[in-house]
Amino acid sequence: MRRHTLSALLTLLAVVAFGACAKKEAPAPEPTPVPVPTPVPTPVAFHVTSVDLGSAIGPDKKITAAASQFAPKDTIYAAVSTDGATPKATMKVRWTFGPKSQLVNEETRDISPTGPAVTEFHITKPSGWPVGGYKVEVSADGTVVATKDFAVKK
Amino acid sequence: MSSSDDKEPDFSDVVSGSSSSAAAPAGAAVTRTYTVVSGDSLSKIAKKIYGDANRWKEIFEANKDTVKNPDLIRPGQVLKIPGA
Repeated sequence: MRRHTLSALLTLLAVVAFGACAKKEAPAPEPTPVPVPTPVPTPVAFHVTSVDLGSAIGPDKKITAAASQFAPKDTIYAAVSTDGATPKATMKVRWTFGPKSQLVNEETRDISPTGPAVTEFHITKPSGWPVGGYKVEVSADGTVVATKDFAVKK
Repeated sequence: MSSSDDKEPDFSDVVSGSSSSAAAPAGAAVTRTYTVVSGDSLSKIAKKIYGDANRWKEIFEANKDTVKNPDLIRPGQVLKIPGA
């Protein structure tokens, strides 16, 4: 009887000891990741980034054959690249000839860009361009933003 | 000084155009210009540009700031051509 009691006691101690060893603290919960705020894109103010001249454009309106010198029968393109969004911007090009800045042509076009855009203006003269120096002046909403000189040579 | 070098070239036959990858705002308009040459009248210009001489009034209306009398336009004068 005494032997059985001792055996039971030892068994009980073993179980308690095992339980104590086996009991481990629950792992700390994973820290809740602090949400990183998504940067809100700052609206880009509408502005002209470049003006390129050439004798041909691609489907994206960009110049494919850049030039600053043209032949009398060329079509002359000015591609105005802009960035930023605006409900309405008035683009204007003014083509002039010679030292007296004789007006060749002037054209305005309203655009409503939502991001990067290209607006092309072109001029042709079926009877041929007079040889000499020309200038194209580009304005956006009444402010001259770029001028480019070019020449027509035979 | 009346050498031929002083004579300004005639750009009245210049044809212009434009297009954009950006959308046009509602009611957007494209305005071009025309340089008057000797013998021109508003109806002749309208015929040349629109193919309809009767549309001279549209040109007159667009240029009322510089053209006071539709029968008086001078060579070299630059006219705005609406909706061309």
